[in-house]
Amino acid sequence: MDHFEQQLARLMRDTEQYSPFGPGHRDRLRAGVLARRRVRLAQKAVGSVLAVAGLSLGLFLIPDTAPRTEPGAPPPRPASSPPHSSPGATPSPTTSATVSPSGPTPTYSVPPTGSDDPYGSDDPLGSADPYGSASSPGTASPGGAESPTHTDDSGGETHPDRPESESPAGIPTP
Amino acid sequence: MDQARAGEFDAFVAARWSALLHLARLLTGGDRHRAEDLVQESLVKLWFVWPRIADEAPEAYVRTVLVRAAARSARRRWWGERPVEQVPEAPVAGDVSAAVAERSRLEVALARLPAKQRAAVVLRYYQDLSERQVAEVLGCPLGTARSHAARGVARLRELLADVIEPVG
Repeated sequence: MDHFEQQLARLMRDTEQYSPFGPGHRDRLRAGVLARRRVRLAQKAVGSVLAVAGLSLGLFLIPDTAPRTEPGAPPPRPASSPPHSSPGATPSPTTSATVSPSGPTPTYSVPPTGSDDPYGSDDPLGSADPYGSASSPGTASPGGAESPTHTDDSGGETHPDRPESESPAGIPTP
Repeated sequence: MDQARAGEFDAFVAARWSALLHLARLLTGGDRHRAEDLVQESLVKLWFVWPRIADEAPEAYVRTVLVRAAARSARRRWWGERPVEQVPEAPVAGDVSAAVAERSRLEVALARLPAKQRAAVVLRYYQDLSERQVAEVLGCPLGTARSHAARGVARLRELLADVIEPVG
């Protein structure tokens, strides 16, 4: 550091003038803090609103583009039977390909209540569905002794015919 | 912030206000009102980070904020000033003195430097920072900070030739 630089440093330090931190400065500082706090709160609020709006828009748009797969939904079949043409037509696609003609009895006797049955709960016309009407007293009684008898009768009448008539010729039935 | 921290903040501001104001005044080339605005702005920013850096280096934080705010404000054309009917501070009789004249010469000379050069010179010779620290505060490479300081000092040699006499 040469002489000029030393003198420059001295000049910068010597010209410092003491100025106390007065109440006016304090009030102004507090006002600045409050104003900045309000700005930060407003920025946070706007950010939250934008985030919620973006999330809502995303949730609104995504289900339209991607197909929804439900865990209890039947696997897609190449050809399906008309859903409400016959009273027992709804559960037939699940049993036709996987269950042998002697097998439908345990398959239909498994759901003892109508609330757990996805077919019964999704069907708005419960009176037209014999499974829905048969399962409604079953839900009221905790014993569940009636459901095997109903399912045995209905399953014995309808199921052995449906896999042969409704499944396409190209799909091998077990 | 709790009361203890707020008390520490008030104590820090009261203790360092004068030095920070002088630093800001040098950084702005002698503009007292702009210097006060910069110090206020820096202290407001310090308030919100005070719980985190109170035990570390609050003055270094304020200095960095001050230098960058000064460089930013130097690029503005309008400072938000509005005309008033009464001047807030009237000059007192003691202003006309040799010390004030010397300070005024220094501030005028600093005001003629570019903002980066002025900041580099002030940090190097008033704050007594190393070249590396000057580069960190300015947010530029070491060579750039060194160049800013060297050019600023060279320019001040010309401007302050009659105030600081060279050694014969």
